[in-house]
Amino acid sequence: MFALVDVNNMYVSCERVFKPSLNGRPVVVLSSNDGACIARSNEAKDLGVQMAQPWFQVRHLEREAGLIALSANFELYGDMSSRMMTIVGQYAPRQQIYSIDECFLDFDGVRGDLVEIGRDIRRTVLQWTGLPTSVGFGPTKTLAKLANHIAKTADRKPGSYPAVLAQVCNFGAMSRAELDAVMGTTEVGCVWGIGRRIGARLTEAGIHSVRDLVNTDIAALRSQFSVVLEKTLLELRGTSCLDLDDTPAGRQQIMCSRSFGSAVTELAELEQVVSDFASRVAEKLRQQGSAAGAVHVFITTSPHRKQERQHSPSMTVPMVRPTTDTRELAATATRALQQMYRPGFNYVKAGVMLVDLHAGGARQGELDLFAADKPMAQAEENRDRAQLMGALDALNHRFGKGAVRIASAQQGRGMHASAGKQERRSPCYTTRLDEIALVNT
Amino acid sequence: MNSSQLPREGVARVGRESPGPAVVPRASVAIGFGSPSQDSGVGRLDLNDVLIRNPQATFLMRVSGSAMREAGIDDGDIVLVDRSVQPASGHIVIAIVDDEFLCRRLVTQGSSLRLVATDPSCADFVPRAAQELQVWGVVTNAIKAMPV
Repeated sequence: MFALVDVNNMYVSCERVFKPSLNGRPVVVLSSNDGACIARSNEAKDLGVQMAQPWFQVRHLEREAGLIALSANFELYGDMSSRMMTIVGQYAPRQQIYSIDECFLDFDGVRGDLVEIGRDIRRTVLQWTGLPTSVGFGPTKTLAKLANHIAKTADRKPGSYPAVLAQVCNFGAMSRAELDAVMGTTEVGCVWGIGRRIGARLTEAGIHSVRDLVNTDIAALRSQFSVVLEKTLLELRGTSCLDLDDTPAGRQQIMCSRSFGSAVTELAELEQVVSDFASRVAEKLRQQGSAAGAVHVFITTSPHRKQERQHSPSMTVPMVRPTTDTRELAATATRALQQMYRPGFNYVKAGVMLVDLHAGGARQGELDLFAADKPMAQAEENRDRAQLMGALDALNHRFGKGAVRIASAQQGRGMHASAGKQERRSPCYTTRLDEIALVNT
Repeated sequence: MNSSQLPREGVARVGRESPGPAVVPRASVAIGFGSPSQDSGVGRLDLNDVLIRNPQATFLMRVSGSAMREAGIDDGDIVLVDRSVQPASGHIVIAIVDDEFLCRRLVTQGSSLRLVATDPSCADFVPRAAQELQVWGVVTNAIKAMPV
């Protein structure tokens, strides 16, 4: 049995831990330099803010509805992620960290009431870190992911699913009929791996719900769609096609992690691994035409070797500006490793994750500067002035003065060189001593 | 620091390391261990082990104000806050009051709760019946820098 554990609205939830006034209010987190909403609180979703929507399009909600926008703080999210992952990893023999806010657990051979275990995971992560999570269980990874979606939706929109499925949902404990009912009311686009395009094609073919898809003849599907969809269908029917370590690249982050055959203690060996992982994620990054704004690196000892001393550090390093350059990414990842590494520990796993992904690839900085020129040229031609103002507002929010200077001057990249000094960025409460939270007495 | 707040038995070996956040004064721990051997049990004392029982649940906060001075917590000190400790009467806690963090001693009498400062001129905070008192975490240690 697999579980998928993820943090609800991760980036917003991290911000709320250290700023209680954000609770109950509509909050979005903006990507570090393209001004798009990359995380939304439930309240912001209710206002109609869409994922990846440009800030200038929703900015009017700031005054009209009290919407609060924060600049992404990947140092904070990376550290909170590391805490959450470490806690969750202790619940099952095997864990695959899939993205900054979600991981799969393999419960093969674990006895006990999984729903109870799921509730315990949720309760513990919430109490220890302040982060709310959802847990989905299923016999395949695709089903675990779907169960997680239902756990989250049932919690957020009461009445959408039976209330008992909220927060923790175990497909394995549901009857055929219950499962059928749930799949009948879930859109096919909610299934892991079915993107907008395939979703639309399926709908055209009369396949609307997950149940419709599950009941589709596999041969018919094969002739019209890719083998990937066939795998998805098999997984939905309960046949496991994805092993714990199989990881389709995410759109918001790209990850490469692996458990070692035997424990590694030497820095040189870890450097090799981390640098290799960095090259692989950089390759995936270029394949999908993105650039990365930050690199997250972790190494971990085994939580299951309780008699051994534990060390599971992680670090998120912002790039001065988004890059696709393997050498830059590998060098950054390796330097992070060198800072975190301590001799004398048996490390069993390492990972490199690229986060803060920007569409547009290598020449992001330059392209953005051209984009700034363009509306001005349009202004001279007396084109749509309102649009220009909107664009300029957006640029001001995207960059701030400091960011624009960094992009053009190409300053040297230090360990903590920040990618754009954003005025809306919260303090790095857990990674910088001069930014820890203040408590009054 | 109250001596009873020093590490309890067994503390030094419990819990896992975590990166930057849980590292207290970084410079004093970054050097690492004398021996990589697991069996010898010989290693330089590590303040992370000494002070932090649960690294994943422990956070640092900077104190502002002196209303808790008699409890050993003064303006400018750093407190270690462990969210995994179940708050109990007598604990110094970080509570959320009016959306701000407030450091106070938690005092329970029967079903009533109060947040008490050590400065007698500071009024107790008694949560109204309807409003639940939110405890963010429990203070386990205070770190004060000496003038050197």
